[in-house]
Amino acid sequence: MGTATGIIRALNSGIKHIATKRFTLRYPEEKLKFVGDGYQFDPSTGVGIAGLKGRHMLFHDHCTGCQLCSIACEGVAEAIAMVKVPEEQKQNKKSIMPQIDYGKCVFCGLCVDACPFYALYMTNDYELSSFSKEGLIYTPAQLQVKPYVAQDSEIQISDRGATHG
Amino acid sequence: MTFVLPPGLALQKVDERIMTLNVGPQHPGSGHMRIVVQIDGDYIVACDPDPGYVHRGEEKMAEYRNYITNIPHLERPVIHDSCNVLYPYVLGAEELLGIEVPERAKYVRVIASELNRCIYIMYWLAIYGIFLGHSTMFMWPAGDRELLIDLMEKMTGARVTHAHFVPGGVRNDLPPNFEDVCLRQVNYFEKRIKEYAAVFYDNPILIARTKDTGILSRQDAIRYGTTGSVLRASGVDYDLRVKEPYDVYDELDVHTNVMKEGDSYARSKVPWFDMLESCNIIRQALQKMPKSGSVRVKLKPNPKTKGLESVYKRVESGRGSLGCYIVSDAKVEPYRVKLSVPSFRNLIALPNLLRGEKLGNMPSVYWSLNYWPVEADR
Repeated sequence: MGTATGIIRALNSGIKHIATKRFTLRYPEEKLKFVGDGYQFDPSTGVGIAGLKGRHMLFHDHCTGCQLCSIACEGVAEAIAMVKVPEEQKQNKKSIMPQIDYGKCVFCGLCVDACPFYALYMTNDYELSSFSKEGLIYTPAQLQVKPYVAQDSEIQISDRGATHG
Repeated sequence: MTFVLPPGLALQKVDERIMTLNVGPQHPGSGHMRIVVQIDGDYIVACDPDPGYVHRGEEKMAEYRNYITNIPHLERPVIHDSCNVLYPYVLGAEELLGIEVPERAKYVRVIASELNRCIYIMYWLAIYGIFLGHSTMFMWPAGDRELLIDLMEKMTGARVTHAHFVPGGVRNDLPPNFEDVCLRQVNYFEKRIKEYAAVFYDNPILIARTKDTGILSRQDAIRYGTTGSVLRASGVDYDLRVKEPYDVYDELDVHTNVMKEGDSYARSKVPWFDMLESCNIIRQALQKMPKSGSVRVKLKPNPKTKGLESVYKRVESGRGSLGCYIVSDAKVEPYRVKLSVPSFRNLIALPNLLRGEKLGNMPSVYWSLNYWPVEADR
């Protein structure tokens, strides 16, 4: 194959793509769709449930203050600290619950695997930016709130190429 | 007063013709490493690669964490290939802890490992393209990589650092309907990378820049101990997925792709063949995978090993054979973890490849070695 033919073939393979649809996602307006409700773990079988490893969610009525999540995080990121909570729960005698510093968290989800009481899950919330370091520290009360995550865009493949539709 | 040199250092006589040039460590063309090149006019006389700028002490850190909490930091050396860099550690830990892995988990691991190999090669191909001045080859792989990253995100819940493999299987089962989505996206991905041949590999400009530059002969490739695509581009048929099959690779039909030339062009094309082969392996694994069953053995919270013993396991990563040597002494933490990484072994060939080349050929030769500085320094 000659040099000119090769260059024309290379240009031609690029020009064909003028007619195809745009693949990129316009992020703040469109957001990706995820599988499920976030990463969860079933301690009875020892297997997790697939989902995005995003911001955590804490169920106050299940947490016993056993500190296993904090111990699991010790070797990873040391992001979890156990803090006093004002409310009194029947199962939580010491009234302590995890507080998570997202400036340190690496979103590995080993704390979720460590929880034997179905109290700590992960959610689809990944937009955690803040103007201050303190804003990244989530107290047990903040972790209790289930986030709203817009999910509208998914990869779709047709004969004309792939798009985020 | 005379200046006394510290012991071990010597002054070098400066030849007027030879100029010493530092490429890196801040230069984007070298990654996080420095290449000290001595040039005579436009030709490279000698070259001294100087890695070590991103040493993180991963091996020492592994001695203070137990077998499970070692997982997130041991995949940091190559975040684009995080399943493969963790694979030998997990295989070794399983042997030390005496765990038998469920069949379905092995197939899930193979799929994750092959997807990760493609993700790594696409990232590397994007860098290789942009340093040869081919910006289409930067944009296309960076975009098409998204198809596989999306699959990994559905499968593991994270886009790059998955922390998915654990001693005893994988962390979670596949999401519902994953097989269909995976098959569709992998088929489309294969169709896309076949288009790269016209725009990149058959492009006369690329051929002119990479053919017959940095030739590594078959004997030298074996003598230096290079691995992976560098070794296969020099005509040695060596792939650990075939030679020492781990997990379920012995049940799958794996072909290795060998090129005989040993130049930069061959070294850049062998990873492209590897991606096509990975697509085949993923399709086979999806077909042969048991449709149901457990994917993880339930372990005690802090598993302990039996006694003083050691294990060495290696896998074929996106860059070559990646080994992990673990010594345990009946505690919850390993006594020693040593990673034997392909990047460092391939770098050893660089001084000989660059000698006598033009300085302008340096990016094409250096990036064709599939070198990842963070992995080499760990």
